[in-house]
Amino acid sequence: MTTTRRNLLKFVGGGAAGALLTPAPWRLITDTALWSENWPGIPRPARGEIRARFTHCTLCPAGCAVRARCVGGQPVSLTGVKPHPIGHGALCPWGLVGHQLPYHPARIRQGPVKEAIVAVARAIAQRGAGERVAVLDLRPGRTVSWTYRRAMAVMAGGLYLTPFQPAYAIDLAAARTVVSFGAPLFDGWGTPGNVFAARANFRLIQVEPVESRTAALADIWLPIRPGTESAIASALTGEIAIAEAARATGVDEKTLGAAKEAMAAGPVLALAADPGVTPGNWNAELGALGRTVVARREAPVPEAWKKAAPSTAVSAAPDRSIRVLLIDESLPGGYVPWQDIEPKLAPNAAVVVFSSTSEGYARHAQYVLPTAVYPETAEDIGPAIDTVAAVFRIAAPLIAPVVPVVNSGEFVARIAGLPQTDALRERADAIHKAGRGTLIDYVAAKSKPVKEATADDFWKALNQGGCWMDDTEKQAAPGKLELAAAVVGRPLTSPTLHDELPLTVVTAEPGRGGLESPLMSKLERESNLRLSANRVALSKADARANGIENGSRCVFETARGRLSVVAVIDAGVPAGVVEVAGGARMVDLYGPNRTARVVRV
Amino acid sequence: MSIDIDKCNGCGACMMACAVENNIPPMPESANDRKGITWIRVYKVDNHRAYPERRTAFVPVLCQQCGHDAPCVHVCPQQAVDVDPETGIVGQMPERCLGCRYCMVACPYHARYFNWWDPAWPAGMEKTLNPDVSPRMRGVVEKCNFCHGRWHAAQQKAAAAGQREIDAADYVPACVEACPTGALRFGDLNDSSTEVAQDAARPESFRLLEKIGTEPKIHYRSQRDWVREIANAPHPDGKDEHRG
Amino acid sequence: MDKEFITRGLRRSSTGRFLLWILPWAALLVFGLYCAGLCLVKGLNQTNMDNRFAFGLWIFLDLTVIALGAGAFLTGFLLYILKIDELHAVINSAVVIGVVCYSGAVAALMVDVGQPLRSWFTFWYPNVHSMLTEVTFCISCYLTVLLIEYLPIVLRNRKLHDVPSFLVFEHKLHNLVYVLAGVGTFLSFFHQGSLGGLYGVLRGRPFAFREGLAVWPSTFFLFILSAAAVGPSFILLTTKLVETLSRKRLVRPAVYRLLARVSGLLLSVYVLAKTVDTLVWINRTSPGSGFEAWQYYSWKPFGTWILFAEIVVFGLLPALVMLTPRLRMHTGWLVTAAAMACCGVALNRFVMTVQTLALPTLSFDSFVSYYPSWQEIGTFLAVVAYGVLVYSFSFRYFSLFPEERELRLEAAAREEETALAGRY
Repeated sequence: MTTTRRNLLKFVGGGAAGALLTPAPWRLITDTALWSENWPGIPRPARGEIRARFTHCTLCPAGCAVRARCVGGQPVSLTGVKPHPIGHGALCPWGLVGHQLPYHPARIRQGPVKEAIVAVARAIAQRGAGERVAVLDLRPGRTVSWTYRRAMAVMAGGLYLTPFQPAYAIDLAAARTVVSFGAPLFDGWGTPGNVFAARANFRLIQVEPVESRTAALADIWLPIRPGTESAIASALTGEIAIAEAARATGVDEKTLGAAKEAMAAGPVLALAADPGVTPGNWNAELGALGRTVVARREAPVPEAWKKAAPSTAVSAAPDRSIRVLLIDESLPGGYVPWQDIEPKLAPNAAVVVFSSTSEGYARHAQYVLPTAVYPETAEDIGPAIDTVAAVFRIAAPLIAPVVPVVNSGEFVARIAGLPQTDALRERADAIHKAGRGTLIDYVAAKSKPVKEATADDFWKALNQGGCWMDDTEKQAAPGKLELAAAVVGRPLTSPTLHDELPLTVVTAEPGRGGLESPLMSKLERESNLRLSANRVALSKADARANGIENGSRCVFETARGRLSVVAVIDAGVPAGVVEVAGGARMVDLYGPNRTARVVRV
Repeated sequence: MSIDIDKCNGCGACMMACAVENNIPPMPESANDRKGITWIRVYKVDNHRAYPERRTAFVPVLCQQCGHDAPCVHVCPQQAVDVDPETGIVGQMPERCLGCRYCMVACPYHARYFNWWDPAWPAGMEKTLNPDVSPRMRGVVEKCNFCHGRWHAAQQKAAAAGQREIDAADYVPACVEACPTGALRFGDLNDSSTEVAQDAARPESFRLLEKIGTEPKIHYRSQRDWVREIANAPHPDGKDEHRG
Repeated sequence: MDKEFITRGLRRSSTGRFLLWILPWAALLVFGLYCAGLCLVKGLNQTNMDNRFAFGLWIFLDLTVIALGAGAFLTGFLLYILKIDELHAVINSAVVIGVVCYSGAVAALMVDVGQPLRSWFTFWYPNVHSMLTEVTFCISCYLTVLLIEYLPIVLRNRKLHDVPSFLVFEHKLHNLVYVLAGVGTFLSFFHQGSLGGLYGVLRGRPFAFREGLAVWPSTFFLFILSAAAVGPSFILLTTKLVETLSRKRLVRPAVYRLLARVSGLLLSVYVLAKTVDTLVWINRTSPGSGFEAWQYYSWKPFGTWILFAEIVVFGLLPALVMLTPRLRMHTGWLVTAAAMACCGVALNRFVMTVQTLALPTLSFDSFVSYYPSWQEIGTFLAVVAYGVLVYSFSFRYFSLFPEERELRLEAAAREEETALAGRY
């Protein structure tokens, strides 16, 4: 064959036609789809060795056991630990996305540590007679709380302040009837796994004006007029007639009758919305003390620690007496409204807050020092309201802090002149020495009496997310309980409404402090399942009366101040009520009377 | 899957576990509940009465994994959706998807979501992504696939152990695993010994919009009559203004 | 200045005036392209579409525009297959309108999909069960056919015709015209139908779902009928508009009357079919899915008035007008009826797209509303501007109306006569 142009063209043409009969060009066409699949800029998950690690969640006192799936050491998802005797493997929505908190864009990443140390030292040295140094511990009951108490005992004029801490625990498993005055039993109360494990055992009578998540699943919901809780209590114990209660509360007689009948079922328990406030006298009346309301038990502490300052309520502190206030807001917990704290501060008080969020006390403090967030933290959690046994569990850190952080315990110990020791280790050793209780090892998935483990093994197991539990002592009646003066009679919702503040404030979401993962937008903005912190929900009637439409920008105003919010209309909210989510800014506005108004901007 | 509406407390744990498992990003500030991506979404339903007779319930809605006449399978112009004959899972291939959104129009359960934005996580948070699921770019449709990646992992585990069938305990979707109240149950509907199959056979069990003929595989149940009514077509008498 | 490009014997405005006309449309086009660019670069979050309203303004307008552009295939069918020779007067204009409508719709679709670079997947991994596959194939083929039909019109331009190879090529194309018309009709039948089929097969949306024949729901046939009915009306409207804007007579009145008669006839058949279909739907199809038909119309603002408006006011009335010989003689009636017919089809497409999506399907859904964002409106205005620009250029440089020259000469002769008569 001669090489003419024609022959060449014939060859090439024939070759091309032949190639079409092979898979090659078709495959190539299909493969070009690849480049349109994922463009640069789309994050790719890192790969690595996959391991399970165990810890405990620090986002609330429940301290649920957590199994973290870690890729190359980085937690990528969290689940509960199914065989756990308390948690039963359940985690709440916040706990499920806790591993994302270290990367929260609003996290406090730096703070004036040196300046704070200097200012605090100066203030301590220069304080006048009668001026105090105080630590406000928002999550009391931890080992670091003992450090604060020891530090305040050592310092002259030291004060250890806490939000009200109940000296009792609730044994839900023993209850057959629960009467809850607005307590969010199924949505943030106690330990979720524990509550749902016990669910089948009790009938719930939920008493509150709005149908919360708990009320929707309750056996009986009593939709009372705000402020009429005492009438319900009296009716249920027979002190007043059902008819009279029906008139006072607005609940129909039939439902009230059914509730009263349900109470006959067995051990009764009464709960209130604020865990610090229990209908104490009523529980005593119902014979709950010693059965469903028992003494709170704590894990043993080293003898040397027993010299510790007692817990004082903020309200009990003398006015204008605190010269140095150190607030530990590192773990989400109770929040005391700033208006209750400010009168206690001396004129040139130095206020230091240990926090990771700028939404809480950081708004009021002079020095904001960044702390570790879950799961970077290395401390224990403290007992939950429904933890009957004495427990000790460490939230073992899963990653190192991604920003430079300050350890509040070390800071306070230093200014008090206490020796810097590993308090957690000391405590673990004390527990081990006491010899009681069981060690539950999640990694090995078994439990054994603590006596059978060495101190080092015990410590190692605790740091791998193990848990120490002692339920050997009999349930004691909380004889020396400081039952709150709150008799059921103090309205838990406000009955008195003024014309100016015509709406009763009801908290729709379990009040959480601290950061929440940006992924919570799924529940808030992207589905309206939960109310976000900057939103309030009104009934259609109230909204219309104020010219408010769904999504309008409004101002939420109480006697204590105002807050810019977005209003949503919810047909489930009765007239005269405004539902809010928790959050420090909102809690700052609560007064003794939870009344408010919402005005369109 | 079977869902006990009488147990669901609307906490949203299932929604969070799903978002974590499937690398779903948080939406930008301007997104609302119609532009967000929630493969499983808990709706609040009520009995259309006024306070205080008003009662609410929570209904998790995810892809109903319809039968082989799934509306979305038929309509996709490029076969990006298929029904797996072995598991019955309706699978969506975001890599094949053109983004025409015809399947979203076809789905009566609003279970399909479009990526209106490119996924964006705050700096550093991309370290927490699940390596078993690839993030999707903008312009494609996505939906629940019963945590297909977990099924693959269970299959691999079974294969490594030399078994043909997977161990049911190894394949649990993230939402079912996370539900604290035990409202969600997952299993083989064809195996009458499983809890799920027994749940589906109960008299108080129902499926959404059964009359349309989609044959969904999600069986809801409730003892309450008014809750079972949600399976029916909309009724304008009960016009409510839902939150948002 | 560009006189040598203008067909001999026709008068067009000066270049300057033409540019003045073009300028605002070009500006609109640029703005619209910017809007489209925003959507392509930043993503579809620029629109107000969302997960409940997955189809929005663009799909609705695409469907309407494709229905209006159906005049191209119908006129071709009537002229070349049924040999109705009077339609020679408007066939070129119809083809240009067709090109503009279809290419504009396809361009808008490219912006509408999330991944335009994957458009070829439909051709590579087609799903034979999907109506949208059918639409994609047929519209692509039909657009090609239209472009081939447009080519001779372009090549007959005075200057281009001077090039010998173009002259020969154009002549060869002319021989194909019957084939093209046939293929065009066939393809149009299917894609207009499949566009209707898109909604008719939606078992998950009982508002749109219809029973039908084999795999084709009744909306398949209804869409073909309505498109065929409105095609001639739209040609009537556009020709009248061009006549008014250019202040020239372009076609004989008999052509208008013919278009109106065709349109009226098809429209009445459509109205009859639609009525039957609606009754079946209300009484059998929809209740069979568990959805009572009356509840669709309980959601404000979509009351039964919309059904009445679509079938009677914008369907039956214009059909009757266009079928009445006395009324056909008056331009005013013709134009009004044609416009109403077009509105009726637009309303029908709106109902199928927007109302279908607005209505809830689950009992705990809400009724949702949607209004387009400025980026969406801007993109569509780009399509309109593009259409006006292409048509304006075609009108100026190509012979769209073969009767124009004759009519001009006749008018000139008549003027001379009256002038002469006046003298004596």
